[in-house]
Amino acid sequence: MTATPPTTAEAARPLTTLLADLEASHRSLGMERVRSWKAAAPERRAIGCLPVFAPREVLWAAGALPVFIRGGGDQLETIRGDAYYQSYICRLPRSTLELGLGGWLDALDGMIFPNTCDVIRNLSGVWSSLFPAKLTRFLDPPQAGDQAAGIRFWRSELSALYRDVCALSGREPAPEALRAAILAYHQARRAARRLEAARIETPWRFPVDETYLLRRAGDVMPPLEWARLVDDYLVAAGARTVRPEDRIRVLVQGAFCEQPPLGLLRALERAGCYVIADDLTLGHLDSDDPDPDPGLDPLQALAEAEMVGRTASAVRYDAQGDRGRCLAAEAKRLHADGIIFAAPSFCDPALLDQPRLTKALGDAQVPYTAFKYAENTGQFQSIREQAGTFADSVKLWGHA
Amino acid sequence: MHRLTTAGIDIGSSAIKVAVVDEEADGQITVRSAVSERIRRRAPAQVLGLIFERALAEARVGAAADLAYIASTGEGDVAQGLRTGHFYGMTSHARGGLILEPRARTVLDVGALYARAIQVDEHAKVLSYRMTSQCAAGTGQFVENIARYLGVRLDEVGDISNAAQRAEPVSGICAVLAETDVINMVSRGIATGEILRGIHESIAQQLAKLLRAARGKGPVLMTGGLAADAGLRAALTRRLGEDDKAPEILSHPRSLYAGAIGAAAWGAFRHRKLERAAPIDQEAGLA
Repeated sequence: MTATPPTTAEAARPLTTLLADLEASHRSLGMERVRSWKAAAPERRAIGCLPVFAPREVLWAAGALPVFIRGGGDQLETIRGDAYYQSYICRLPRSTLELGLGGWLDALDGMIFPNTCDVIRNLSGVWSSLFPAKLTRFLDPPQAGDQAAGIRFWRSELSALYRDVCALSGREPAPEALRAAILAYHQARRAARRLEAARIETPWRFPVDETYLLRRAGDVMPPLEWARLVDDYLVAAGARTVRPEDRIRVLVQGAFCEQPPLGLLRALERAGCYVIADDLTLGHLDSDDPDPDPGLDPLQALAEAEMVGRTASAVRYDAQGDRGRCLAAEAKRLHADGIIFAAPSFCDPALLDQPRLTKALGDAQVPYTAFKYAENTGQFQSIREQAGTFADSVKLWGHA
Repeated sequence: MHRLTTAGIDIGSSAIKVAVVDEEADGQITVRSAVSERIRRRAPAQVLGLIFERALAEARVGAAADLAYIASTGEGDVAQGLRTGHFYGMTSHARGGLILEPRARTVLDVGALYARAIQVDEHAKVLSYRMTSQCAAGTGQFVENIARYLGVRLDEVGDISNAAQRAEPVSGICAVLAETDVINMVSRGIATGEILRGIHESIAQQLAKLLRAARGKGPVLMTGGLAADAGLRAALTRRLGEDDKAPEILSHPRSLYAGAIGAAAWGAFRHRKLERAAPIDQEAGLA
């Protein structure tokens, strides 16, 4: 892992202050970062994107900041949002509606709803009825089958989106702007990979709650600014003298949409685990880099990257049916001692995926445990107990 | 195999316990020192600093660096920076319980805030467990509060309770209601011993339920702060005596330290396991 010297104004801050600011920003529902970014120039726009996909390069090239909306977290009391939904679905659509109806998302000029699950698809319809003056777009990324047809379809979807967002910001669509956006997100993706590598290599220096806060900051920041912030963090946190502990190395799976509270992530590590990798912020710079070759059509490059390089997940059709085997292989490659399945209650994609994953892990003799949470879960004792006894059983009776 | 010296730190909600043990080549555990200190509104880190040094001195260990493994248990975050690893409280009490009483097949840990019944096998592997809910009734903090209301020293509670001829019934559901009951009893002139015996009967009723739910078998070793309370042990024996196959209820002079001793012993186990897998210092820089 290499990291460049501190470069941003934020680097001048001590690590504790930087982390405190990240946490304050994370806990604030008011999107101050987005508002201040927009305030710097009147033509700037911001577009919200629901998990787990955001066409970031397209939005950025069109002059809009892509902003991931991953629910209301544990700070939001959901009252109006509850009125629109039955009780037996996850909290994400209710808290997202609560944010919208409460004015917390006023800084956004539009919303994109990817086809993550039925709930998010339905939310796109509710949203367009409630906020008819704002751009609302349902995006259905191609899944499998004829790859060439998928790329053609996806290019046309991205092209239409690009045109519409350019119209919002008053920009003319231009291939150069798209290429520049691709290059900017290249740098952000590389920063994300440096962060991932650092966690895998020395997880005691890069606790999951810190790296998570950093990634969540990336949900609301311009790409290059975020990449610099990551490097600043890597330098500052990497210089810490932290004694490694005898903990198990785990992968956390299933928390890709509705996010767990920060306290839950802390509880996992306090219980004796190092979370070396996770799918918590799936969609955040995890696909392959589109090709920035000036000779290529940038929209074509983006469509190909989406079809070929998108990270395998519970919300992507697995034509080979080998995601479980891949997860077991990934655990071995990363020298993980076990897997923790942490899924939001009522999350169909995560919970329906779990049985075949656990079957494959059982076959490969990779230990795992599973629990459910909600974004507003406030008590972590039972989760800590489960993670703690899992860590003990792996350390004492397993192969760790 | 060589002898290993390790330490266990049990961070409870009202007291911190530290044990230093030797694990011999044959796996035998010898406790070299076991010390505890009540937190009493001080910073737990400060209390830990004090008693860790005391435990090392009593065990004649020069410095923390001379220990093969320092294991924390309980609310172990306080020991971050000092510890090598952490074990969950149940795992530590299971091992510590069996070190103190190898016949035990159930460990009943009654601490300041929680009580838990842990069924174990002969290798100290946890087979099943049950834990009380967050309500403080049936735990050490509750007894301590009552003793304070009654003006009785904590170490006198058991004997005074056992000397009483009858128990004054107390709410067994809620610590707050029980404390109100006790205030009423004092104003009604009920004898202190009868109140304490009533308290013990109430706690014993809950612990008996816990043991039945955990399907606790074989001799039951009480650990944690209330293990030393003879009045509670007697009440629990009476309560379980109503069952056909009532287990024997045991305690040990070092029951308070079961968590710390168990953590230290697991630390030695882990050290040897990691040493077999790869030289620890080279692999991850663990002490």
